[in-house]
Amino acid sequence: MTRALSWRHGPWTALKLGVALIYAFIVGPILITAIVSFNAVNRSQFPPQGFSLRWWGEAFTPQWLGPLAFSLELSAVTALISTALGLPLAFALARHEFPGRGALAALTMSPLILPTLVTGIALLQFLQIAGFGALLGFWALLIGHVVICLPFSVRTVAISLKAMPPAVEQAALNLGATPATVLREITIPLCKAGIFAGAVFAFIHSFSDVNLSLFVARPGQRPVTVTILSFLEYVGDFVFGDHSRD
Amino acid sequence: MSSAHRRGGRRALHVLLVAGPALFLIVFFALPNAYLLSASFQVSEAQQLTDTLTLDNYRLLFTRPFYLNTILRTFVIGGSVGLIVVVLAYPLAYFLVRTSSRWKGLLIALSLAPLLASVIVRTYGWYVILSREGLVNNLLRALDVIGEPLRLLPSSWAITIGLAHALLPYGVLTIMSSLNGINPSLERAAMGLGANRLRTFLSVVLPLSFPGVAGGFLLAFSIAISAYATPAILGGPSTEVMATQIRNLMVSLLDWSLGSAFGVVLIVSSLAILLATAALGAKRSAL
Repeated sequence: MTRALSWRHGPWTALKLGVALIYAFIVGPILITAIVSFNAVNRSQFPPQGFSLRWWGEAFTPQWLGPLAFSLELSAVTALISTALGLPLAFALARHEFPGRGALAALTMSPLILPTLVTGIALLQFLQIAGFGALLGFWALLIGHVVICLPFSVRTVAISLKAMPPAVEQAALNLGATPATVLREITIPLCKAGIFAGAVFAFIHSFSDVNLSLFVARPGQRPVTVTILSFLEYVGDFVFGDHSRD
Repeated sequence: MSSAHRRGGRRALHVLLVAGPALFLIVFFALPNAYLLSASFQVSEAQQLTDTLTLDNYRLLFTRPFYLNTILRTFVIGGSVGLIVVVLAYPLAYFLVRTSSRWKGLLIALSLAPLLASVIVRTYGWYVILSREGLVNNLLRALDVIGEPLRLLPSSWAITIGLAHALLPYGVLTIMSSLNGINPSLERAAMGLGANRLRTFLSVVLPLSFPGVAGGFLLAFSIAISAYATPAILGGPSTEVMATQIRNLMVSLLDWSLGSAFGVVLIVSSLAILLATAALGAKRSAL
């Protein structure tokens, strides 16, 4: 025991010190953002000047609540549709062997591998060329978000389908249940956790997306992330305006 | 007969249920990417794509210094981000796997906390730290180290730090899962055979956790080269990366063929990273 302590002592204490610094690095910028939100002046300043709740008041005006509501609605609908489309795909990929299975698996998973930003510009360009430019805004965002969220829905459901013992469903069938009943009473309830997790993943992924939304949103129909980003880009230009940014 | 008929009907329904989503992905994902690929080989004239095929878009990307520098800067930033992520994530992951602290769960959650805050919020924190009236400048001025505020923004290294901060949790996750997979008796065996703590770490733990290190590096690298928000907030016209350049080309200049060519470069890089990941046996589990 004492030996264990002695060889642990030096390096382990040094490691702990390093880890504390890394934690400061992780948490610092997030805390600073939180603190600056109580700043009294219209400046990205630290330490903040005075204390004020005016920016919090500002945050709860239609200028910001509008995009926030838009984002929540978009992400909710995205999660719903991506779960509905992902369910049959997960069943097919996890349970069945069929020609083209590999291709389907690759197609389903590749939005996760290719950069979201490129998926965004490809969709923008495609909608413009195909004459569906009018869809830009909510509908294009919905389409794009479902594409990038589908891998999450499919994967989480497929994992819970694979984890389920096949004997349970077999038993229900042997006891006279129809396949539809087995699906409704056994299979779906047993992978409920996976379906739910997939929907939550899809919601979060959609809600936090910047890289795709940037390209297929339109003024008035922009998620909150894109709204904040363009605001910050503007503020950046404002702050550095008299110093020319390069 | 009727049972066979019903089975046939069910089969048709199954095919339909799979064909629907598959068609959705083909129309709204595969086809747009095919268009993107073809646009990158087309001549763009007066903000319209023409039918003339060309390699000029790629020639321009790789010969005109402005674009070439953008590509190189993107990869240098991506590589540095990957390196910083791995170097910071390793001790943290090692500590989290080995600690017997009762706060272990909380500490793990805290190390992943940045994932919960939007990348924009995290980047804005760095903006506040590095801006003209930010933490660094005000601190240095209060200590009388400098008279005039330093111009820390916009800069490539600010983008690098911001991205490394945003992507650190991915490194922690991949390296932790690698370290968790190492059988502790291997270390005991090495020490039992006379290796000291450092030697054991260098010749047993480090090599065995390599897949996690490689995975963390490649994951951070691949997300960093296509990130938009951080370079847009912490960078400027002198520090354009591929993502911000693509945005300029596609949205402001409407030069679709050049924008598409940039997009294809990003796709090819992602596929190369995927191949490297497979070749190195690296972990991709953080996704």
